[in-house]
Amino acid sequence: MAYSEKVLDHYENPRNVGSMDKNDPSVATGMVGAPACGDVMKLQLRISEDGIIEDAKFKTYGCGSAIASSSLVTEWVKGKSIEEAGQIKNTAIAEELALPPVKIHCSILAEDAIKAAIEDYKSKQSK
Amino acid sequence: MNYFQLFNIEVSFDVDLQQLSLNYQTLQKTVHPDKFAHASEQEQRIAVQKSAHINDAYQTLKNPLQRAQYILVQRGVAMPNEQHSFQDTSFLMRQMDLREMLEDVRHSGDVDAALLEVQSVLSTEYLQLSQLMRTQLSENNAASNSAACDNLRKLKFYQKLNVEVDRLEDSLLDD
Repeated sequence: MAYSEKVLDHYENPRNVGSMDKNDPSVATGMVGAPACGDVMKLQLRISEDGIIEDAKFKTYGCGSAIASSSLVTEWVKGKSIEEAGQIKNTAIAEELALPPVKIHCSILAEDAIKAAIEDYKSKQSK
Repeated sequence: MNYFQLFNIEVSFDVDLQQLSLNYQTLQKTVHPDKFAHASEQEQRIAVQKSAHINDAYQTLKNPLQRAQYILVQRGVAMPNEQHSFQDTSFLMRQMDLREMLEDVRHSGDVDAALLEVQSVLSTEYLQLSQLMRTQLSENNAASNSAACDNLRKLKFYQKLNVEVDRLEDSLLDD
């Protein structure tokens, strides 16, 4: 299948690949997976005390679209508040990357990764 | 008639694959095109449809994960949408580790030993999960069916990993 130029760009030059210490209280970790294709995605956000995402890292095992979706998301969330980041929709990701219908689930995975990371952060905060 | 009835075997996750294969061949013979060479067009068409149905049934029951899924669907267990993301953090962390381990094989000093190690770890973990699912399927109550469904989803990640292992093995042979 032909990937769009934007997918190829993120796939060949992924932004913000890496890991943060998941036990750091200011680090939010979102882990999601897709049983159908076996993709696994980890998104980590460093969040300031006033709730701003200062840095984002990802590691994804999956197809080009899954890698591109998570790479794009790390660019988008930086500088946003967690509320703003939580409003990022998979449709916006799919549109930006021109994902074909069979790859929409990759963008859903990336949206779910943001939500999972925010959940993780909230549960860390309430401890 | 469900797929198990079609092959005249008991509805169970434990299938005698040899018996299944024999019954499949016997059944396919009854709808073989040669038998319908002089039959009407309609009869020929029905025979082709039956043959395809028998084939689908055989492929489903032959594969353990598809068989488990078929049993759960037959029991009316609501399977989560395939696109629905899975969020068991510790399981996914382990999946990440396993994928990293697989990635490191290529750069290891002894590639063959590293590959064998990954294969052995994967088959041990697959077997454990699969045994657990087997027990849960045989208990057949609401809680155990839902747990089996969860483990089936986990096993699919291992299935994908095994595909990656095969791919790596092929590419190492090509080098």
